Amino acid sequence: MTVDYRIRPIPEGVADYFWEEAYRRQALVARLLELFRTWGYADVIPPTFEHAEVLAAQASPELRAEMYRFLDRDGSTLALRPEFTTPVARLVGTRLYDWPMPQRFCYAGSVFRYTEPQAGRQREFWQAGVELIGARSPEADAEILVLTAEALDRVGLRQAHIVLGQMRFLRGLLDHLALEPSQERALRWALERRSEPALAEFLAQTALSLHQRRVVERLPLLNGPDPRPILAEASDLCLNPDMEAALADLAAILDVLAGYGVLDRVDVDLTEIRDLGYYTGITFEALTPELGFPVASGGRYDELVRRFGPDAPAVGVAIGVDRVLLALRRSEGPGSRAASPRPVAPDRYVLTHGDPRALAQVQAWRRAGQRVQVEVNGRDLEAARGYARAVGISVLYEWRGDGFREIPVEGEAQ
Amino acid sequence: MSAVSHLRFALPKGRLAQESLALLRQAGLPTPPRENGRRLVLPSSDGEMAVEYVLAKPWDVPIYVEYGAADLGICGLDVLREGRRNVHEPLLLPFGHCRLSLAGPASRRDTPLRYESQPRVATKYPRLTRDFFVRRGINAEVIALNGSVELGPMLGLADLIVDLVQTGSTLRANGLVEFRTILESQAVLIVNRAAYRLKATPVQRFLARIRSVVQAKGEGP
Repeated sequence: MTVDYRIRPIPEGVADYFWEEAYRRQALVARLLELFRTWGYADVIPPTFEHAEVLAAQASPELRAEMYRFLDRDGSTLALRPEFTTPVARLVGTRLYDWPMPQRFCYAGSVFRYTEPQAGRQREFWQAGVELIGARSPEADAEILVLTAEALDRVGLRQAHIVLGQMRFLRGLLDHLALEPSQERALRWALERRSEPALAEFLAQTALSLHQRRVVERLPLLNGPDPRPILAEASDLCLNPDMEAALADLAAILDVLAGYGVLDRVDVDLTEIRDLGYYTGITFEALTPELGFPVASGGRYDELVRRFGPDAPAVGVAIGVDRVLLALRRSEGPGSRAASPRPVAPDRYVLTHGDPRALAQVQAWRRAGQRVQVEVNGRDLEAARGYARAVGISVLYEWRGDGFREIPVEGEAQ
Repeated sequence: MSAVSHLRFALPKGRLAQESLALLRQAGLPTPPRENGRRLVLPSSDGEMAVEYVLAKPWDVPIYVEYGAADLGICGLDVLREGRRNVHEPLLLPFGHCRLSLAGPASRRDTPLRYESQPRVATKYPRLTRDFFVRRGINAEVIALNGSVELGPMLGLADLIVDLVQTGSTLRANGLVEFRTILESQAVLIVNRAAYRLKATPVQRFLARIRSVVQAKGEGP
């Protein structure tokens, strides 16, 4: 079989990253991992593919449908990881269950989903995130939220905002209302789409007590940038202990967030019901003005680890590396360096003429962390100038027997 | 950021344009003088907010809004459902009423749809059409066209069509009758999910103004 690589060099949904774009990507991932480690998170590198049934353990139907599956030689079905949370839960559940809790893990790498490439994301896209396993407290939830805000801050998205929900509030309400499945779908749809007519239609078509009706009518108001009044409003609407417990939990989390001084970065939304499969408590998304899509999402998943071993509550976040990069590029505006990619220019481009003293100097610079590129094609000074101009190097250094001489490269880069 | 809240609004060209503008005007929002400029920033009369208008093809409005290229927009429910864009849709608007219908030659035998074997269906709405047939277990061949769908049966291109119907006169003129309504459509106000949060105050102000006009119309004579 012959493939004409000029016509279809790579399949749809994957990308080559090179030069400055690849450098930025690696640097961003390195910064995130470095930050996660300062919070006590240990590195983990799960396999790129594993048993499909493991990865699908508590995935939502959408995520299941998006998994890349293939057959192993023995006929079992494998899949490329669509996210990192399940592999980490599997690792802890099957192998590390007796290590003292809590356990903290951080990761970065690519995941694979069969979706339309969108908002900076290909079918292979990158996530960096953390999982905090074996802690159920508001402090644990708050740690993940603060770390998310800190991470987005660190990478330059200073206007990022976190929208925090607690799905037990709405689930408590739905349990209490005990709706027909079609009615429940209608209510969820109305809330998810923020559709006032759909909510009105639901209310018109569903038999509810006066009090229940009042609660549902006021649900859309339970979100906004000022969390405390929303919780106060919501506390009037509780129909059972589950809903009350959800609010008490959120209030305790907000206290910790206030202690960290990040309360102003968090919106509360009690109608947030993204159907993500494994989440059981808080859920959240991070938004930033540069992008119409969330740059991070996460939540509490207390029932996932027990699928693989002894029970352990857990909470985590995944940051969308591709979307962060896109948002950063947007914030720099068109015409920025990242908009027209180039190789990262070396700090020094040198002609050594093979002199050992020159090479020693070059090595000293490199060991000090400078990027030093040595001419290896035997170019003379003029040819080296032409090369430097072409690749965007502004100064070159030539060895003159007793030291390097700095030679400016005239003219515009092409 | 300036003190005056700034929203970007995707205004659909064509069928919904005039009524969208009328609605915005009634809501006390500034509107572009004519439907020509591509991008315009206009402050509201009370200086409470500024709206930047972007004129877009109706089919592109949900895309602009999903991507956050516009914070808000107006489009038809038909376009929104066909595109399956992930946006908020807080308000239905009292204009642009029409229906997405399955139609075919008046001469078609009066038998249930589910007896059809691989009907060829011409449409501008391939996704909604496919969904409609899939839900009934019918393996239809969907032929996606960009316009003049009603000519399909006459030209022997398709057995049936799925198209937007307002009065039905276009169908009748082409010897077609409606068999089923797939979707009742009207104009809808959509909001970007991130803008709904990050620009909550101006977005809610904007919604309140539109809501009051919509409600006044609903309760009017």
